[in-house]
Amino acid sequence: MTALLDKSPLGVMVRIARIDWTAMSDDEGRRLREFGLIEGCEVTPHHRGSIFSRDPLALTVGRMKVIIRARQAAAITVEPAA
Amino acid sequence: MTAAIPSIALVGNPNAGKSSLFNALTGARQKIANYPGVTVERKAGHASFADGRPLSLIDLPGTYSLTPASLDEAVTRDVILGKQEGETRPDALIVVLDAANLDNHLCFALELLALGLPTVVALNMVDLAERDGLTLDAERLSRELGVPVVSTVAVRKRGLAELLAAVDGAIRSHQPREAAAAPANDAALHQRARSIARAAIVSETPVRRWTQRVDNIVLHPVLGMVILLALMFVMFQAVYAWAGPPADALESLVGTMQAWVVDNIPQNFLRDLVVEGLLAGVGAVVVFLPQILILFLFILLLEASGYMTRAAFLMDGLMGKVGLSGRGFIPLLSSFACAVPGIMATRAIPDEKDRLTTILIAPLMTCSARLPVYALIIAAFIPNRGVGGTGIGLQGLVLFGLYLAGIVGALVVAFALRRTVAKGAGAGFMMEMPRYQMPQLRDIALGLWQRAWIFLRRAGTIIAMTTVVLWLLLTFPQAPEGESQVEYSVAGRIASGLEVVVKPIGFNHDIALALIPAMAAREVAVSAMATANAIDADGDEDAMAETLGERLQGKWSLATALAFLAWFVFAPQCISTIAITKRETNGWKWPMFMVGYLFLLAYAAAGVTYWTAVAFGLG
Repeated sequence: MTALLDKSPLGVMVRIARIDWTAMSDDEGRRLREFGLIEGCEVTPHHRGSIFSRDPLALTVGRMKVIIRARQAAAITVEPAA
Repeated sequence: MTAAIPSIALVGNPNAGKSSLFNALTGARQKIANYPGVTVERKAGHASFADGRPLSLIDLPGTYSLTPASLDEAVTRDVILGKQEGETRPDALIVVLDAANLDNHLCFALELLALGLPTVVALNMVDLAERDGLTLDAERLSRELGVPVVSTVAVRKRGLAELLAAVDGAIRSHQPREAAAAPANDAALHQRARSIARAAIVSETPVRRWTQRVDNIVLHPVLGMVILLALMFVMFQAVYAWAGPPADALESLVGTMQAWVVDNIPQNFLRDLVVEGLLAGVGAVVVFLPQILILFLFILLLEASGYMTRAAFLMDGLMGKVGLSGRGFIPLLSSFACAVPGIMATRAIPDEKDRLTTILIAPLMTCSARLPVYALIIAAFIPNRGVGGTGIGLQGLVLFGLYLAGIVGALVVAFALRRTVAKGAGAGFMMEMPRYQMPQLRDIALGLWQRAWIFLRRAGTIIAMTTVVLWLLLTFPQAPEGESQVEYSVAGRIASGLEVVVKPIGFNHDIALALIPAMAAREVAVSAMATANAIDADGDEDAMAETLGERLQGKWSLATALAFLAWFVFAPQCISTIAITKRETNGWKWPMFMVGYLFLLAYAAAGVTYWTAVAFGLG
């Protein structure tokens, strides 16, 4: 059962199953990897946007909390964490 | 081992606590300059080994890898590889790791170790890692990495002597070695980093509960926004409320100095120059130092505590709608202090069009140089009373309104620019959120001192010079008996020419006179008026006793005062901002564009304000 990270419920840990690198620029892709967002890692989405919009998304990966845009999250397929 | 002073670079991920470590190692012995050819700030300083031999330290911009995504990250790579123009390759590296974020920070560390330079790892912020329930084995980490690892707590000065001793040892015992092979790809690098981190972690409890609990409130879609607005509001009220007593003290100090000169030096040309030109002009600007420092205090505190990135997160939705990103929030907030560091901070924005737009709207943020102008006019024309029996002052509220006008103007302009001259794909927004931290007194004090120094140096150079030139232009030629000296002088005649253009928007001769020298810097408008006023009052003791505000009260209508305020929300009157924009955008095209559109907006805004006020009977 897979879903996209931008629709994934907040506060629930998921595992990254697949990332569509073609949906983003090389720089964006590299920065994602530098944040540690790679296939197989576990992430928890925590906060989504403000009163203005549902963008961006804050999630924890390991001990780090990072912000990405919903557009990038939409390129990330996740599955329930074990 | 070279005879020269060894140069050591501090390098690491953003949020690894590099700057705190740099401050702790160098104290106040720092020098901030720019790398030649680029506007990235070069922070260098001095320290010494235990036996007294000096060393030079350089603090490089934080980055995630040696593949740069922005201008400042490129500087880090070029310095480390010895490719930065005018900069020798460092003799050794101190790789700064956040102890609580080893998995991630080790990736870059491994990349740096592979370069083969003498290297020492500073395992920084071990106290915060312990607070988060993480115990680490520095020795084990050292064995895994093959370089010395020293646990440090920069803010408590723990581990600093050990760190420098290890650097000394690493330089002495360094054998030129083949650069070790870095893992072939990102996945392999991450795997290696993670396995080293696992080995070094002795025990671990679940992550950052405390930070998460705070974030649940601070990043709440509605509540978070309310908190952000409240913080901004308190900040601008404080600028007004707290600065009163120290500003009064500075003002009376200037008065005392003027009186002393008048009493002790016989009346001559030089005395007038000092009293009416230098002291009246520079003094009028220096009294705003307390307000500027309070504003910077808030910005530095927000940054050091980790809140600034949360604010960027909250603002991203709004900024995204006009084609910017939350990244731009930090340069724009810095621009409230001064657009020059604000525009320089835009280099961290990866998208070129996003960056250009942020540069072009940065001057719309109400910088501290406008404060002297706003403060003078508000104090003179807006009654000092509460609004509807609340504790909120009307003066503070007007100031808040002026700030708001700049922000709304900036959003509208950004929206227009992103659809016309700076068209491009939607900007991205990827950023790490640091943990919350107690801001350190020393870091804040150092930051404030640097800002105060920059402001005073400006007051002593640009402002002093323009004031003196203006005084000369106001003093010659000497008016015959019965004629106003200010009107008769060279400056007065130039102002009369300009007055024709600005009269429709309610500006009088005083303002026309102040606008020209204020091209150098906005606050000169105040010192120019102070100087003209001092010359005007020459010999008249009653007039001398009045403050500038009181004089203006008698001469200007409320509509004129309001139009003057509206003008300064937009007017691009700052040589430094124009110069930095030219440098940052590599040419005259964008600074010229910026000056043009801002003057048009200023004229329109002042005009609309004046005509509206007159229609309401305030003329």
